[in-house]
Parts: sequence; structure tokens; C-alpha cells
Amino acid sequence: MTAPAAAPASAASAPSSPGPRALWRRARGPVALVLALTALAVVVSIGTERPPEGVLEPEGPNPEGARALVAIAEDRGADVTVARDAATAADALTGDAVLVVALPHRLTRAELDRLAEAPGDRLLVRPTGPALEALAPGVRMTGRVDDGALDPRCDLPEAAAAGTAATGGELYTGPDGTTACYPADGGAALVRVPVGGGATATVLGTRDPLTNTGLAAPGNAALALNLVGTGDVVWLLPDVPAEGGRATIWELLPAGLRAAPAPLAAALLLLAFWQGRRLGPLVTERLPVVVRAAETTEGRAALYAARRARDRAAAALREGFSARVRPALGLGPDAPPDTVAAAVADRTGADPARVRALLSGPPDGPDPATADDAGLVRLADDLDRLDGLLR
Amino acid sequence: MAVTGRAVLAAFALVPVVVVVGAAGPWPVAALIAALVVLIAVDLALAPSARAVAFERSGDTSIRLGETATVELVVANPARRVLRARVRDAWPPSAGARPRVRDLRVPPGERRRIGTELTPQRRGDHVAAGVTVRSTGPLGLAARQCTHTVPWAVRALPPFHSRRHLPGKLSRLRELDGRHSALVRGQGSEFDSLREYVPGDDVRSIDWRATARRENVVVRTWRPERDRRILIVLDTGRTSAGRVGDVPRLDHAMDAALLLAALAAKAGDRVDLLAYDRRVRAQVRGHGRGSRVPAFVQAMAPLEAELVESDPAGLVAAILGERGGRTRRLVVLLTDLDPAALEEGLLPVLPALTSRHLLLVAAVGDPRVAEMAAGRGTARAVYAAAAAERTLAGRRRVTAELRRHGVEVVDAGPEHIAPALADAYIALKAQGRL
Repeated sequence: MTAPAAAPASAASAPSSPGPRALWRRARGPVALVLALTALAVVVSIGTERPPEGVLEPEGPNPEGARALVAIAEDRGADVTVARDAATAADALTGDAVLVVALPHRLTRAELDRLAEAPGDRLLVRPTGPALEALAPGVRMTGRVDDGALDPRCDLPEAAAAGTAATGGELYTGPDGTTACYPADGGAALVRVPVGGGATATVLGTRDPLTNTGLAAPGNAALALNLVGTGDVVWLLPDVPAEGGRATIWELLPAGLRAAPAPLAAALLLLAFWQGRRLGPLVTERLPVVVRAAETTEGRAALYAARRARDRAAAALREGFSARVRPALGLGPDAPPDTVAAAVADRTGADPARVRALLSGPPDGPDPATADDAGLVRLADDLDRLDGLLR
Repeated sequence: MAVTGRAVLAAFALVPVVVVVGAAGPWPVAALIAALVVLIAVDLALAPSARAVAFERSGDTSIRLGETATVELVVANPARRVLRARVRDAWPPSAGARPRVRDLRVPPGERRRIGTELTPQRRGDHVAAGVTVRSTGPLGLAARQCTHTVPWAVRALPPFHSRRHLPGKLSRLRELDGRHSALVRGQGSEFDSLREYVPGDDVRSIDWRATARRENVVVRTWRPERDRRILIVLDTGRTSAGRVGDVPRLDHAMDAALLLAALAAKAGDRVDLLAYDRRVRAQVRGHGRGSRVPAFVQAMAPLEAELVESDPAGLVAAILGERGGRTRRLVVLLTDLDPAALEEGLLPVLPALTSRHLLLVAAVGDPRVAEMAAGRGTARAVYAAAAAERTLAGRRRVTAELRRHGVEVVDAGPEHIAPALADAYIALKAQGRL
């Protein structure tokens, strides 16, 4: 192979960065893909809006929701208005509407007072003390029963028509004139008291008959529908009360400082762009492998040291010595160790037995060179000394 | 595009201004930010196009490793506005390009010449990566940027450090040749010419037949063989990748090969080159007389050791299969005396090669191993010495095995491999064994 020309002749320069058109060509695929995915996500999400969920939520299909009850009531001709706060509920209440207070514990005292002034019948579901006080005066909670199913044992038409229902829960006692149904030890699970203006307040000690799951139990549906009625219904499910009316730190800052983040963000973006923009692409290079020629030897040395392979180390040192001195002694490469030892002893005048022990270990008993590391170091030094005598 | 530090500074300077002005409402703030954006946009629009800049290169294309090459770049500004640009002439890191970046001002329609100095740290071809221009606008706020391909390559050739040995070896060669004033019968075995007898000449070299035809006594003169063929084989397999000192074995081998090639060319022999691991990686065939060293240097420059096990059977087949591969040659194999690689790879296929050719194996020994073998004093040093003795014993065993097959072996450290190989060649020539 003849070597190729070392360098091309001066060729014309050509821009290699993509131009605006090339950038657009390169970007339009991904951009189109992102747009298509966004459109798809929007299309898919339409119509799959999650219904609200919550306890006695009139639109909630969850087990504790009340969507089934509300739907059946509407089928039967009821007009259900959902109110999320006391003010809306009070505004919606006219003379013949039934107010269902689903979660009375979320109402503040002021809101309870506002509701107490509103006309119409009320259904309180497991009310708190303040709610009882405001909306069903005279009724007190006097006990609990855990057993689910109770018998009505009263002449309240709604309860009597429903028969046995799972009304076990809090029990109430009312003042004179109270109709008490589903009695148990310590009170009744359903009480109705007049609250003036011809209106009544009905207190139910449990939410179960109204929920989606509870509705299926015998008697519950009849009782719940009877209680809600077929007229106008205002279903009050108060939102969790939010604290308000306080200024945040941000609102207390001067207007100038509040305007500062925009230019600061812009400046930081510019800073990032300034520092991040590279002057031309990175240059790659195929690097040669870097491996030391003596690496295997060093690895073997480390293995010897790690395993304390004194026998192998000593053998290697002795063989190396023999190979070094053989030519000087006029011996061939195949000369056995004993011949080498004899020749070395002959040349140096040393004790032949000692030299033989040094070169091939003592004929009987353990080899001092392989007994410990110090012995190995001594062997190396002894061989060196012998080598020096031969020179 | 790109923004400059000045634009960033202006943006940060805007922040305290906004804090003061912000009390007056959001509009002044928006106006200030918009003003900065407009300024940057205007500056960008006014900056001369970086794409339109034209380049041209000239300069060195090949140097010896260790020398410095200068590559010039002509920057032409075809625009009608002054080009204020930062130019980066990019090269691979090991090319050692200086300076990396420079600022340039080119008036409209003019050209400027800039030079880049390359001091490659590695042998081989160094290919220019591209020229990036960042053209700044008149306000110094924004810049347009474009990278241009401006092809160029600089080949870093093997340094041939061993050429300092060449004069000494050449004079030894001339001694053989008889051209040196020496009153000995010319060494060698090839008949050269007839000349008149001079007292002192060896009487055995008198050519009686020629003497009979003339009045004077005529002697034959002899000279070392000429026009012998030598094939230098570089093993580029894994054993050549190991570094002796800080240089791969392959580079030491190249150095020795170059000295041998230069010497053999002077001696009138024909030298070929083959680089092989599992396939032919470079090949130079000598044609007639003349030094092939420049061709060798060019062929060796891009060679790198590959991390593969060499294939000696394929190598032998490649040598024997070459055109004229059946005529006797001196095959100089530069490899490592690695017992595992040679005993399993080369030794079984050796007879095929040695039956026809004379093989000389040259290997670079590692001084680090010798240094380890001399370690004493601590247990760790003695273990290292033992390991080094194992390595040396392996080399001795392989050397003995090769010699038994009639192979010449040269094993020397990196400093001495080139002269040792040259000496071995001269000795073979003196013995007439080529």
C-alpha cells in the first residue's frame, strides 16, 4: 500500500453550521410531534373530566358520595340545588324547599345562625353540637349505637313507610313535641322537632342511608328518599373553610421590588446563554489505548504479595540467578541446579552444601526462604551477594 | 447567535433601575426590558453574516513528531460592514493547536491571514475540525455564529530518533564493503571484479585463469552481497500497544525499522515493509534502487496498535503469498517476546517460514521489568523482583526456542533496539547469510 497523500489540497471552505432553513427542517419533525401529542392529549381529556369525589358529594360516584340518591330524587321530580357555602344555600331557600346539611361540622357559628334564619324544613346529617343548637334547638346527642339496623317504631310517615333501616349511629333526645324514630338505648336515631314557622328540623344520626353504598341496603333508599322529599331540595355541602383576609409578604413588598424578578430572570437567562454558548462544536478524537508493557508483571507481583506466594517467588528468584550465572560458569542452559551449585561453590570457594541449599532449598526440612517474608528478602540478598562474588 | 458579556451586564444593570422605576407601574418596566431586547435584536441584525465569511488554508502538511507545524488561515470578509469576529480554528486536542481563539477585525472586502501552530503529541494524521466565527454587532451586544468546514490535515511522521546512529553504522558497513581502506580480502562472498595484484593481497584470491591471459598477476575482489531482499514486518497486534516508557512498543519498533531500512538502502539491499495483525495494515514494496525510507515513514505515520491478538499463521501466509515471496529474504519481525503469544501463535507455523527465509525476531524489552528484578529490601520489592524474574525467564525460554529453530533474536531495551538491530543486520551481511 502506498501511503495516501498527507493532506488534501486547499479545498474551498463551506459553512457546516445549519442555516435557518436547515434548522427549521431539522426542528419541524419534533415540533410537529409535540403539537400532535398535545392535541391528542386535549382530545382524549375532553369528556373524561373526573367527577368530584367526597363524603356525601351530590355528584360523587365514590362509595361515600350521594350521586345515586340525588339522581333518584331528581327522577322522582325533586329539584336539587347544590350549594357549596351557607350564603348560597340561604339565598336558594324558599318556603317549601328542604335544606339538607350534609357536613355540618364545616359550618361556622355565623353561617349556622344565617341558616337558622332561613325558612323551610331541614335535614341535618350527623350534626355537631353547635349545629344542633342553631338548627334544631332543644335536641341533644345522648348516645351511640353501633348496631346498624333499627326498627322505626314511630308514626312518622317517612320512617314508618321505610321500615327497618340501617340508621344505627348517634342517638338524640329532643324536647317535648319531638317525634323520635328508630329508638335504641339512650335515644333515637331519627328525631324531628318543630322549629317555628311550621317548619321542622329532622336530625339523622348517620350518613349511611344517604351514601351510594348505603342506599342499596333494605329500607335505606326508602328512608332517604322520603326524608329528601320530592319538592325543591337545597343540598348544602360546605367547602372546607379557608382562612382569608391576610396580606402575604409578597403583597407587602414595595412595587419596585415586586417588578424586579422579571428583569433579574431575563438577566440570568442571558448569563446562562452567554456562558453556555460554545464557540463551535466539541472536537472528538480517537484516543489510543494506554497500557503499560510491564502491567502483567506488576499484576503478578501484586498477586504474589497478596497471596504470600513465597514458594513461587523463591523459585523464580533462584531460576533467575541460575540463568544469569550459567553463561559465566561455562554451563549450558540445560545444566541442572546441582551442577550450577557445584560450579558456583567451586568458583567462589563457598561451602557447596550451603550454596546448594541456597539454590534449591535444603535437602531435608523446611526451606527457610519460604518460611516468612524476611526469609524471602534474605534469599534475594544472599543470591545478590553470591552474584557479586562471581563477577 | 450568541450574546456578549456586555449584553449580560446591561441586563443586570437593568435590575436596580427597575426597582426604582417599578413603583410607577408595570409599563415602564416592560418598556425597559423591551428596549434591551430591541437593542440586542438590532445589533444582531447589524452584525455581518458569519456564514458569508470565506476561508482558505495553506501551510505545512507533514512534520516529524516533536516539530511544530504552522497552518495559515486566510479570513476574507465579503460583507460591506467591518467584521469584528472571534475566530476559533479547531483541531483535535492532541494536535496541540495554539492559539485556540483569536479576535480579528477585517475591514469590508479585505482578507486577514492568521497562523495556527500545531505541536502534535501523537503520530498520525491530525485533521482540522472546523473554523468557528462569531461575528459581533457594532454595539457589541450580540453576535452571529457559524462553523465552517475548512479541510486540512497535518501528518505527524515517526520521529526517527535513531537516525543519529546512522553515520556510525554506515561506516561499519563500508568496512565490510572494502571501500574503507583496509588491507583485508574483501569480506563477503560475492564476486565483484578483477584487479592487479598488490603485495599484501591474499594469494588465495589470485585468479589464475585471468592471470594466464595477461602479463600481470590478477586477483579477484569480493564484496558483500548486494540486492538482497529484506522484509520488515511490524506486528501491530495487542503486544505492540504496551507502553515502554511513555511510548508504545510499536513506535520503538518503527524507529528500529527506519534505521534498518535506511542502512539497508545504503548497502544496496531492497527493503519492503509489512504491518500486520490480523490483516495487512500497511505495505510498502521496494522497487529497484533508492531509499524507501520516505515511503516507509508515510506508511507508518497513521499506524496504531490494535487491541487484537496477532495472527502469525496469516502473517506467514501473507509473507509467502507476496509476489516474489518464494525468493529467499531476510524477514525482520518486530514484535514482543511474549511467551503465550509466540508459543501458541508463531512457533507452530515457524518451519514454513524458516524453510525458505531467514527470520530475525527483534523485540523491545521493558527497562521497568529489569528495574523490578533488581528490587530488594522489602518483601513487596522482592515479590516484584520474583515476578520480573518470571517474565524474564519466559523471554529467555522463547528466545531459546526461537534460536533452536534457526531464528536470530534481538532483544534490547528501547534505547538500544535500533542500533542492536542494525548490528545484527551488519553481522548477518558480514557472514554472507543474507
